[in-house]
Amino acid sequence: MHEWDFAATLADMDFLLLGLWNTMRVFALALLFGIPLGLCIALGRMSRIPVLSQVSSLVIEFFRTTPPLVQLFWFFFALPILISVQMTPFVASVITFSIQSSAFFAEIFRGGINSIDKGQWEAAKAIGMSRRDSLRRIILPQAVKRMIPAFAERSIELLKTTTLISTVSYADLMFQANELASKTFRPLEVYTVVAVMYFFLILVFSQLTILLEYRLAKSGEGTLR
Amino acid sequence: MQHNWNFASVFAYWDVLLIGLWGTVYIFAITCVLGLGFGLVVGMMRYSKAWWISYPARVFVEVFRNTPVLVQIIWFFFALPVVTGVEVSAFTAAALGITLNTIAFSAEVFRGGIQSIEREQWEAGKAIGMNYAQTMRRIILYQALKRMLPPLTSRGIEVFKMSTLASVVAYSETLHQAKLIASYEFNPIEAYTVVAIMFFLVLLPLVQLTYVLERRFGKSD
Repeated sequence: MHEWDFAATLADMDFLLLGLWNTMRVFALALLFGIPLGLCIALGRMSRIPVLSQVSSLVIEFFRTTPPLVQLFWFFFALPILISVQMTPFVASVITFSIQSSAFFAEIFRGGINSIDKGQWEAAKAIGMSRRDSLRRIILPQAVKRMIPAFAERSIELLKTTTLISTVSYADLMFQANELASKTFRPLEVYTVVAVMYFFLILVFSQLTILLEYRLAKSGEGTLR
Repeated sequence: MQHNWNFASVFAYWDVLLIGLWGTVYIFAITCVLGLGFGLVVGMMRYSKAWWISYPARVFVEVFRNTPVLVQIIWFFFALPVVTGVEVSAFTAAALGITLNTIAFSAEVFRGGIQSIEREQWEAGKAIGMNYAQTMRRIILYQALKRMLPPLTSRGIEVFKMSTLASVVAYSETLHQAKLIASYEFNPIEAYTVVAIMFFLVLLPLVQLTYVLERRFGKSD
């Protein structure tokens, strides 16, 4: 029977916390780029110009149907050769997850915008607003509120997906765990601690989502799923 | 620099890719069937009024929904053998991780679907003398399944994509085989492009199917 011994793992906790910090960095940057990009793609998809909307749908479908790990490998191993630039694991991860999540965010934006009553568009038009003005001032502020739970859910998915960057040797929490496990010969303790760390990290986010949804429900807004 | 695309160097290894494709389909089939099957069981447990049934189910769902699948696969592959003293194969570790994750996610879909059926349907079942199991099987599940079809199809698509994670523990699915080809022929561009397009072509019809299902079952009943 195995004797549990967490001493070696806990002694190197700062090593794991560095990994956690790196995970959060990629996560934050992917959100920062992914959300605006998602809005652009969503607007592209809803555009009246056929070419633009077809290209946008293709981008959305492509990045939603291909596995994130394949995309990551492509951006890390294939793209640098194709355009002959140096690609660090960090840059490749941020690019991959920004684009990958933007495809999902685009669908949330589109759902949110479509869920706003047509009358709102007409009202904006009636007081002389252009399509762009009405989108910015009337439609989006209402739509975003409905989209928040879906956004939060997607962000949690993104956080879980960031574990993949360990496969291109970026020092995220998962990668640090692999290193530590082979250094200490204590895979059981290391991976258990890391699993618990991920669990609580994601649990905090998902509890916040539930709280947010509860508050939105109370303020009488229908939420989008 | 202009890259000369050379897909012939990938397709020359079609037999290697074919092994990968089979590996993907195999692990997908097993994890999908087990995941959805046990997901239904856990979902019904979640719905139960007895706390000693619903509480363990809830803990299970929270644990496996709130940990990344890759962490689970790595845990089963490297840590589980230490606990049990039994060697865990790459396939077992990957299949276990993906299955448990699918159970947790689909359990919530099943629970949501069962909950969405109106109370009157339960009462109607009781009124004509059906017991709990009969009402569940013949009245509730039958109607709920229709509403659950779109989210369950999306889950299936996610499971198919998740199968690529098995490559991390060197199970020979499509991505792993492409990695082999890429390292042998130095053609990562073509190898990974082919894999991306393969997944796209397989899953695109399924995604279209979810749109159709959503339109048909999502709104009306």
